[in-house]
Amino acid sequence: MIANPYNSLDWNAVIPLLVVSVTALAVLFADLVARGGVKRVVCIAIGLAGLAVAAVLCAKSYGQSYSSFGGGFIMGGFTVVFEELIVLSAIFSVALYSAVGEARHLAGSIALLLWSAAGAMLMAGAGNLMTIFLGLELLSLALYCLCGMSRRTTARESALKYLILSSTASGFMLYGMALFFGATGSVSLAALANPATAASPLFLVGTALFFIGIAFKLSLVPFHVWTPDVYEGAPLPVTAFMSVATKAGALAVLVRFAYATLPSIHVREILLPLYVVAAISMLVGNLAALAQTDMKRLLAYSGIAQIGYILVALAGTTALGLRYAVFYLAAYLFMNLGAFAVVALMSTENEEGSRIAAFHGLGWRRPWLAAAMAFFLLGLAGFPPTAGFIGKVLILASAVGAGYAWLAGFLILGTAISLYVYFKILRLMYERDQQRAAPVVENSSALAWVSVGVCAIVTVALTFYPLVPSNIIPLVK
Amino acid sequence: MALVAVVMLPVLAGLALYALPRDDRRICKIAACGVALATLVLVVLTHGQSATYGWLSRPFTAAFHFSNGGISTWIALLLSLCTLCAILTCNVPRLRNFLTLMLLLEGSMMGLFLARDLLLFALFWDLMLIPVFLGLVGWGEHTATAWRYLIYNFAGGLTLLLATAAFGIAYGSTDVIGVAGLAHLGNVWQPWIFAGFAFAFLVKTPVWPLHTWMPATYADTPSPMVAVVSAVQSKAGLYGFIVISRALLPESSHAAANLMIWLGIVGLLYGAVVALVQTDAKRLVAYSSLSHLGLILIALFSFNELALRGAVIYIIAHGLFSSALFLVLGYVEQREETRSLLRLGGLGWQNPRIAGAFCLVALAALGLPGLAGFSGELLILAGVFQSGNISAALVALVPIVIASAYMLRLFQGLMNGPQIADLPIRKDLSWLEGLALAPLIAALVFLGVYPQPVASFDASSYAVHAAVKK
Repeated sequence: MIANPYNSLDWNAVIPLLVVSVTALAVLFADLVARGGVKRVVCIAIGLAGLAVAAVLCAKSYGQSYSSFGGGFIMGGFTVVFEELIVLSAIFSVALYSAVGEARHLAGSIALLLWSAAGAMLMAGAGNLMTIFLGLELLSLALYCLCGMSRRTTARESALKYLILSSTASGFMLYGMALFFGATGSVSLAALANPATAASPLFLVGTALFFIGIAFKLSLVPFHVWTPDVYEGAPLPVTAFMSVATKAGALAVLVRFAYATLPSIHVREILLPLYVVAAISMLVGNLAALAQTDMKRLLAYSGIAQIGYILVALAGTTALGLRYAVFYLAAYLFMNLGAFAVVALMSTENEEGSRIAAFHGLGWRRPWLAAAMAFFLLGLAGFPPTAGFIGKVLILASAVGAGYAWLAGFLILGTAISLYVYFKILRLMYERDQQRAAPVVENSSALAWVSVGVCAIVTVALTFYPLVPSNIIPLVK
Repeated sequence: MALVAVVMLPVLAGLALYALPRDDRRICKIAACGVALATLVLVVLTHGQSATYGWLSRPFTAAFHFSNGGISTWIALLLSLCTLCAILTCNVPRLRNFLTLMLLLEGSMMGLFLARDLLLFALFWDLMLIPVFLGLVGWGEHTATAWRYLIYNFAGGLTLLLATAAFGIAYGSTDVIGVAGLAHLGNVWQPWIFAGFAFAFLVKTPVWPLHTWMPATYADTPSPMVAVVSAVQSKAGLYGFIVISRALLPESSHAAANLMIWLGIVGLLYGAVVALVQTDAKRLVAYSSLSHLGLILIALFSFNELALRGAVIYIIAHGLFSSALFLVLGYVEQREETRSLLRLGGLGWQNPRIAGAFCLVALAALGLPGLAGFSGELLILAGVFQSGNISAALVALVPIVIASAYMLRLFQGLMNGPQIADLPIRKDLSWLEGLALAPLIAALVFLGVYPQPVASFDASSYAVHAAVKK
């Protein structure tokens, strides 16, 4: 039975989400009002301010636990943590617009990015299949437009590719949801949690289709082929946003489904294909990253592997594992967006600075920028003193403790391969034989520098104070 | 707090060097020397202290636990002394950035040897790879060497990390290094955990057949850095065997003892024989290291207290003479722009002071009585003999004889013989270079005649009392 949603309307639960959506409107309005050179500054400032307010409101409701909209949206520590991560990634992405030269339709881009973030936040709190799909489509529709918002021809290819493939994946997911409904007569994730129906073929087929949709959004191998092309073609801030927020939203849905819906007696068997996919992703993602010549493509492939690491933490669906998955996601957010901020600072008026060859000799030309990049890459490779190191230790411990030593082995193998990916850049930056390149106008956007600094500080700080959110588990359900 | 400063001072000060003017070599060097000296003083002052700060409580307990005592103190002293001496005569292009790497290297290794927590140990283990990699990339001769170094050692670092995580899960805590009378890890995982640690240690030491990264790395790395790497970083693995494998995983260590002794013997002989035919002076010393470190491995896995004490003396002695050797070779290379034994010869006529210093150091390396190498070797051999493994003790004697051959070949090839006409004539040892070598040589002599201070650590925290009869 679907409960009447009007009985439990609690708008408090979605206030951060509403703030983000309304901010998008405010940005569009400001674009109409503001004139000349301040337009750019005003749009970015309003976007950032709105997101900051949303972040604060979000943090305030940490620790509460209730559901509203008839169970359609669940507010709790879990939702808050994911919403917070999504808002943070939106903040960093919007800040990058200040450094990237090409910004046609700046206000429109920021507004779409905010709506996209709102979609991801909706996914983070989704308690039934309808809300999941609503969030997913809000996220994706905005992103289709964003991917095309660039003068380059690759942008159109990127947008079209994303549209077609993502719609197909959504179709898979929708069909899976239909089968769930057929099996249980309910769209609520909690109502699906019934060991009796879990054994029915309808439910199992539905789960498979559902996973395919999720795997596409998480860009897990073999549903990853769109990722590098789309990342490469999309404007840099959009790529940065997609690399974290999309994945966070999809991960939240997956976690809720795995922890709250799947019956605990079958969960190991049902999730096994997902672990296999994670293992393959760690290997393929890192191997493919070896051959890249574009930083955005490299980070796309590295992101495929990183999500694999996060899924290893979820192995065995233990309470500790979930915390470490969230911790690693946060670490990944700061390291990855830090790297994107450096790429943004490399870009010039006409070109995004994502060619890997452009990093050659950076260590001697711009030592601070190179040091920051080196630091983020070390983090992604799992080197100390970064959150990537401690995050990997926690994931390894949780996987070994849950009896998934083989997955831990794959993680080690994947990390070993990734070494070459990241240190290749380090070598380029610090190599001995450097021709002193002709001095170019350095991009020195203050906001992007602040992003780099914040990301670096948080990445170090998380090593020494691993803030692992403690009370997530009871709030998933 | 002061103990944390020992680790953090070189790291932070090293990074702060970036604030100095890029081209003012003098200022940069004075600052770096000051930092290295301050670190040395701090190591002495903080002797016996320990400091703990909480880190993780789940899934296992881990802490930022440093302690300056026992074996650690001696290795920390060795490290800070070697770094100071190496920095003192550093003369490479882009000096400021190089000095930063040297200080980062010092800080990361200092953390490693003072750490009392396995996770902290693993953290510094990975961290100390980065300065050497960047040193090889920026100042080395071939980039391939940097990759080989990194890939080998990071592979070791990963198995170490996995073993640390597994140990933490199985044991509940990683704050366990150097704790006397700790309950053993009685667990089916123990062999696997041991294997993970052992692989990392064997690669790092290195031990045959995992040594192939080492000669190239030692030859390509600039002399000041390789002086520190060969003296101290190569001891990380042996130190790990002492404080982790032997102390925390005794059953598996005993089970693997025969294998380890065999690996040690093969490395001992192989390194010595290959050193005989090298023509690159740095490679020659690299292979001699392989041989010497094999001897220490045999000592550690004989589970004999005498051998352990000998091993610790030899760890320090090897650190002193190998860093001095690499420094002298660096001086020679800088003057003559080659280090090939085929090209060099008769340098002693023009540079008697270099020849004299080199002679002393080479004699220490071949184990002349009265110098530190001898006291270590003697105790090791006596201990191995006492443990009942007579054949190993006898085999271990052979390379000591070969050592005289290759060390004298090195010395004679470089310093004696007829002068080679087309070699440029350079100045003799400068006072600064002499100042850099003097403490190393003095320490070699001192430990040669009076090794008691190094050998008299409390062995109970390293679990030697759990000896088994072979």
